[in-house]
Amino acid sequence: MVSKEEIMKIAILSKLFVAEDEIDGLTADMDKIIAFADTINNASDEGTDFDNINNLSNVLREDEVVPSYDREKILANAKDSDDGCFLVKNIMK
Amino acid sequence: MSESKIVKLHGMLANKEISCTELTQTYIDAIQKDNAALNAYVTVTPETALSAARTVDEKIAKGETIGLLEGIPMTLKDNISTDGIKTTCCSKILEDYVPIYDATVWNILKKQNAVLLGKTNMDEFAMGSSCETSCFGGAKNPHNTDHVAGGSSGGVASAVGGNIAVYGLGSDTGGSIRQPASFCGIVGLKPTYGAVSRYGLIAYASSFDQIGPITTSVEDAAAVFDAVSEYDEKDSTSQGRKEAPVTDTLKNDIKGMKIGIAKEYLDGVRDEVKEAIQKATDIYQSLGAEIVYFDLPALKYALPVYYILACAEASSNLGRYDGIRYGYKADNYFDVNDMIKKTRSNGFGDEVKKRILLGTYVLSSGYYDAYYKKAQNLRGTIVNAFKNAFTGCDVILAPTVPMTAFENGHAVSDPIETYLTDICTVPVNIAGLPGVSVPCGFDKKGLPIGMQLIGNTFGEAKILNAAWQYENAANMFKAADFGVKL
Repeated sequence: MVSKEEIMKIAILSKLFVAEDEIDGLTADMDKIIAFADTINNASDEGTDFDNINNLSNVLREDEVVPSYDREKILANAKDSDDGCFLVKNIMK
Repeated sequence: MSESKIVKLHGMLANKEISCTELTQTYIDAIQKDNAALNAYVTVTPETALSAARTVDEKIAKGETIGLLEGIPMTLKDNISTDGIKTTCCSKILEDYVPIYDATVWNILKKQNAVLLGKTNMDEFAMGSSCETSCFGGAKNPHNTDHVAGGSSGGVASAVGGNIAVYGLGSDTGGSIRQPASFCGIVGLKPTYGAVSRYGLIAYASSFDQIGPITTSVEDAAAVFDAVSEYDEKDSTSQGRKEAPVTDTLKNDIKGMKIGIAKEYLDGVRDEVKEAIQKATDIYQSLGAEIVYFDLPALKYALPVYYILACAEASSNLGRYDGIRYGYKADNYFDVNDMIKKTRSNGFGDEVKKRILLGTYVLSSGYYDAYYKKAQNLRGTIVNAFKNAFTGCDVILAPTVPMTAFENGHAVSDPIETYLTDICTVPVNIAGLPGVSVPCGFDKKGLPIGMQLIGNTFGEAKILNAAWQYENAANMFKAADFGVKL
């Protein structure tokens, strides 16, 4: 059984608020979902090491400067910007 | 059989039986008329479409030859980035997001003067099996609008099945191309992981996501796959198409082809669907293919493995939505952390939040080994089980979905019941394999049934060849009563 407290803890890690009136319903749903995920622990099979799909290896390129996007175009999608930068409230005093 | 719409329209354009502008306008008018019932499009782009159409008409007028996909009206799922055209993932959090670059697939098609009619509906961030988690409401099934089009690429399937687009590109993370194609009685191809570039596809679960075509015929799916499967340096997992164009071998004889059936794929599948699969095996035998039966016990864990890993990746991928750089931003907040939390809590829908929470849970300290690590190891087991299966057969035949399209509103009630509908589609994504869904019958209510052909890595040519032969022999395609009649 997953507890309300666990759900609240996970919500903090996920940067999500859970409203008082949603917590019971969400805990019940999450309990079902986690119980379902738990069925893999009934597998007698320990499995095989798996690190990636289709044996891909890291693709690297030379560290060269290439043209990027126009700053104004990038900032056009932001709700708040100032002087060519994204605008947020003070993080540190 | 379902003839190739692309080949037919290409011929009409090249022979000047219709101008590209007239053809495009016909589709725009059909969208105006039928989209209210289907809710397939969330953004319609008539100006972009007509501008591309004029370019094609000018080429034809000058006597230049045009490519197969040139001037063909099509659509893109709303998680495929389009420079200057809103791309919302059908989420409030991206409701006004306008990309400043094109996804590679759209870049390829745009260069070939594809006519983009608009962007189509989907489950929010591709998380869902009915299209109903979309912030715009779900797309409807063109065979019966009381039923869903399926998900997550429900809008593409509804538009193509409803004849208000010739073809479309969707994305498939756990079945999101094949399942709606099956529900809408059309063809959906999920290519091998890496065969089509994911650059510009808004990520859900990066080790599963793959872009592919949704069409009304196998030949069209082959043509679109050949066009978009290119190596792309902007996607580090891109490999492009490894073999010759699949169109070259599409209509080859399949005498002696070994078609495998794993009984695990038929567990819990509705009788009408089982019967349709049985009839398909009869047709394959009459075409000279050999049916081989085998066990695939590893499939038992496919669904929880998929949900654990996909949600883990989603919880990381969706961490970027913080209201700062793009998309929705909460209005009232007291500090940055509060702003991010309020933005995410108001901007994401319930299903997305549940998947982020599950993903965070399985990756959190104390649970990582029991869930994430164990699921990764079982992913390895499933990959090996398929490898082993393909030593005894060329392609695997399975249902696409255990049932037909559910009624509107039905999928939202029970989370696990909804997840179970993905049981036949997720194994392909877990193992990175190609799979194509082809219509193979109708249930008592007249809703389409789909079957799936699964191939080994980069085995698109074989599955499409087997799919074309079946389509040609079985003639199971029925056009829905919407949109443009050709």
